[in-house]
Amino acid sequence: MEGAADSDTPVAQRSATDRAAALARLLHRDCTRLLELYKERENFLSHHVPDGERLVALGLCPEALTTAEQVGHVRSALRRCKELLECLITREVEEMGEELEGEYESLRKTVKDRLGHLVHSTAALLENGEGGCPPSPPLQCTEGQDEVDDSFAAKLWTYRVLLELIHWTDSASQTLHLFQSETQGQQQQQLL
Amino acid sequence: MQGWVTLALLLSLGVNRSLGQNGLGELPVPRGLTLNPDLPAQTLSLTWQSDSSLFDLEIFHTEFMNVVLNETVAVKADPVTGLHSWTWHSPLPLECTSHSVHIRARNQQSLSQWSPLQTIPGSDIPEKSESYMFPQDKMVPVGSNMSFCCIVKEKRDFREIQYRGQQKSATRLSRRTYAITVTNQPASGNTGTNVVCCSETLTLTGAVVFVGYLPGDEGLVCETRDLASAECSWKKGRDTHLRMKRGRTKYTLNGRDCLEGKTWCYSKVWEENWTLVARNPLGMVQLTDSAQLADRVHLLAPANVTAVEVKAWSATLQWSWSVAAYKKLEMVCQLQIFPHELSSTRNYSGPGLSSVVLEGLWPDVDYTVTLRCGSKQSFWKWGDESAPYRIHTKMDRPDALDVWIWMDSSKTGRVFWKPLSVRKSHGALDRYEVSQSSADEDWGTPDFLPPGNFSYPIILNNSSDITVAVAARNPAGLSQLSTVTTPAYRADSRLSVSELLSTNGSFDLSWQPNANASGGYVVEWVPTGCSGLCPVDWRKVPESDSSFTVKSDSLVAGVRYTVSVYTLSPGAPMLLQRWQGYSQEMIPSQSVSELSANQTGSDVLLSWKATEMKHQRGFIHGYTVYLADAARLDLIANISDPEVQSYRVKGLSLSSHKFVVKAYTSAGEDAGSTVAIKMEMDTADMLFVGILVPLGIMFCCLILLSICCYKKREWVKKAFYPEIPGPKVPGDWSSPQGPLDVKPSPHSLVHIVESPEWDFTKEGLFPVPEEEEESENDNIEVDTDSDEPALLRYYNQVVGDGSHSNHVLDSSGSSTASVGSTQTEITYAGIQSPTSLQGGYRPQMQSVTGPAELQNEFEADFQDDGLNTGYKPQCSWQLDSPEAENFSGSLGSPTSVTSSQFLIPESSEEKPQPSNTWFHNFLSGKS
Repeated sequence: MEGAADSDTPVAQRSATDRAAALARLLHRDCTRLLELYKERENFLSHHVPDGERLVALGLCPEALTTAEQVGHVRSALRRCKELLECLITREVEEMGEELEGEYESLRKTVKDRLGHLVHSTAALLENGEGGCPPSPPLQCTEGQDEVDDSFAAKLWTYRVLLELIHWTDSASQTLHLFQSETQGQQQQQLL
Repeated sequence: MQGWVTLALLLSLGVNRSLGQNGLGELPVPRGLTLNPDLPAQTLSLTWQSDSSLFDLEIFHTEFMNVVLNETVAVKADPVTGLHSWTWHSPLPLECTSHSVHIRARNQQSLSQWSPLQTIPGSDIPEKSESYMFPQDKMVPVGSNMSFCCIVKEKRDFREIQYRGQQKSATRLSRRTYAITVTNQPASGNTGTNVVCCSETLTLTGAVVFVGYLPGDEGLVCETRDLASAECSWKKGRDTHLRMKRGRTKYTLNGRDCLEGKTWCYSKVWEENWTLVARNPLGMVQLTDSAQLADRVHLLAPANVTAVEVKAWSATLQWSWSVAAYKKLEMVCQLQIFPHELSSTRNYSGPGLSSVVLEGLWPDVDYTVTLRCGSKQSFWKWGDESAPYRIHTKMDRPDALDVWIWMDSSKTGRVFWKPLSVRKSHGALDRYEVSQSSADEDWGTPDFLPPGNFSYPIILNNSSDITVAVAARNPAGLSQLSTVTTPAYRADSRLSVSELLSTNGSFDLSWQPNANASGGYVVEWVPTGCSGLCPVDWRKVPESDSSFTVKSDSLVAGVRYTVSVYTLSPGAPMLLQRWQGYSQEMIPSQSVSELSANQTGSDVLLSWKATEMKHQRGFIHGYTVYLADAARLDLIANISDPEVQSYRVKGLSLSSHKFVVKAYTSAGEDAGSTVAIKMEMDTADMLFVGILVPLGIMFCCLILLSICCYKKREWVKKAFYPEIPGPKVPGDWSSPQGPLDVKPSPHSLVHIVESPEWDFTKEGLFPVPEEEEESENDNIEVDTDSDEPALLRYYNQVVGDGSHSNHVLDSSGSSTASVGSTQTEITYAGIQSPTSLQGGYRPQMQSVTGPAELQNEFEADFQDDGLNTGYKPQCSWQLDSPEAENFSGSLGSPTSVTSSQFLIPESSEEKPQPSNTWFHNFLSGKS
């Protein structure tokens, strides 16, 4: 990364950043599509505006000053999103069984897998692996589920989780794009 | 709140009044009214103490004090507790709003006072300020009615409640509570039916209801696989539409839980009676089955199936059982053997059956066997089928070949044998072995032929018969020898071959039984006329039979077959009978050949040659002859004798003719051959018509002309040879000594002109008796000689212009212009014989009039054409022509001879010729 002495490293770095940014863009599209499918199933959500706090908040993170730090923040958010998605999948499978195998269920799994890849990719881009964010404890699916005690509330919660996915994958896409541009600029300066 | 206070006051007043009316003594007020709500069940249980057994009950929605129940009930006290209890089922969830209840006792005469109001709070009380909807996640059967209520969050407005996305009419129950009622609910989707409460701007809250069916399972059947335990299975009924975890159907078999989501249940021990209960939140269904264990044996699949001994014609199959208890079970096993053409099903039985011997297999064949077994006693069903097992039987030596010999000449022939089928070859053949012997020569070294060969040529070197032996060899050995002896060759021409008619494409043959046919008969059929490697086919017929049918599938339509029957005896086969026929006749594929047409006078002889046999494709029954024109064919002959191959067409006209000859079989005519001929006269006719007839006609004409001339000789003489008077010589005109210059007398012309009426009065004309007459005659001749009067007229007009006026003057041959002139140059207009003007005429140039005057005269002449009727040309045949008449008018003028056509050379003047002989005019083309 920054200050890397190995001549091969910048190229590999750029390539990894490219891939992470591309993956983030792809994931953002997947999440958008996943929300569309969910809205098709639960059509009342078309007019629903969720209220309340964000499900994924990075209150413990210090203020991100550099792009690299922002990448670390985004990675923390994506990791939390992944945990939320896993809880969502567990809940839906428990409630509805595994018999349903439509496009929604298939894409849901794809998003989960790609989200894991993106979390791993962004970690590889950071020197300290966390980018300034303290490691957050793993999410327990029962956390904050008190108010999700009925099916309707669960549907609203699912909706909020999907919105969080869209938000943070979009954020990751932009941040990684910025990170990629800066990395390229630094490498060109080094070459000069 | 105001309404609630008012109602309380009224109630207290009523109580006071009733008390006042009850003079006999008051009923005691029920005591200790308590309310116990069951929120999921939407029921409210009331308990109280009282000595009465009849009570009035009133239930209110507390906030608006709307009465939701006003009922008189008879409730006896529980003998143990002494409490009265009654339960009310609310159509609305009790959480929707607060409910208040009071009660009073009643008998026939009196009423008690109302008990104090007891209230259960709803979720719309101020302490609960959020939005709520009730009921949540309820499961109801399809078609049921249901009420939902929405409690609006404090300080939020209410807009609507949607059920399945449709707005429903809401009723307000309290300050914050609104309710809807849905009737006849349809089945929900996978995730339930959404009921949503909305404000003007957002979704406030909602609920999900699951509408579905009771379990619909059916067909419980229990059986044993191991002769000890039980496996019960059933068929799932209709979809309950309750997919969520709480709504799934749960099963118990004889009280024991079954695995979720399965349609079978396992029990370690066999029980003769089985009960399956299928239950979901909406209800349950109960299925039963009853059977003895021995009646429900469903065996597992045989394991480890192997062929322990495989032979050419049999194999021993062995397997094992995974359940030890099977070894004592009387069972029946079924083997299914493939491939299809050899497939069969065989049953074997025995206690604990674990091996069988498969008989009746064929050598060198791949078999696939599957095995399944069942209990022989009280057979219930076949057990599971084993995995397919492959067996390949060993080879065996081939069967004997079916051999026949076919002679295509007295010295040559060919031995044929039929290919061995898989069933007969018993393994892939390596070769054929052919050997031969004769009376002079014993069996020699056999010839080896590859498996693809099915014939072998033979040549008879001497008159003795040859016996040929053929055998097939495969890796397992050599087949039995098949022998055949050469039969005597009999050409068709030496036999009376009868025509064979087919029946539906087959030949039905029958013959007189022959006592010598100890070995039966051979029916042989081969395409007629075939030589070399021919498709010879044959069948051997037992001695007892004397008929045979050659099936159509071994025959080719349109091919003539020679069918022969031979008797088989220890010696050479003997020809018994022979036929020829077609399995199906077709029209000839080629037309007759060498069709020619020869003219004989007015007849034409058509001749042709028959089509080759291979192209006949049927027996030729005859020929048809057509006369063809552009549009159609006219049948002119039908020759029913196929041996006749010529036909004479008689009486044809002298023109071109086209003939078509077609051969026909029973299937119809062929396309036909065409020949064309142009009929011509013969030499004698041509001589007669071409030469003698014109000569004869000419001769006749001459005779007629001669007769005519003779009859009219006087007229002819007068017309053509008028009598010329002799000259009157006043003096002594004795002949001089020199040669006599004979010139025709100009007077002769003068006499011909009878009425010279043309204008002597014209200006510039000077009568000169002799020359003038001569000139007139010349002018008349010019007129008569003129072939182009129009051209002449036009030319005269043109030359009348000033530019040519001199020319007119110079060259005019008119008498007026030539007066006083010594010039003899004459210019003619039109085509004229130069000799016609030379009859001693000498033009006289006269310059009396100027060019202008001449021109005027010209024009005047033309204008006076129609008036010049007085002019009479001398030649009588010109008088009939009006054009000539007109010309005579103009040409009769002194200037009409003006011409620039050509000049007569001077020499012509020196050799004057007769100008007025008719014969001369005739030869020169003048009329």
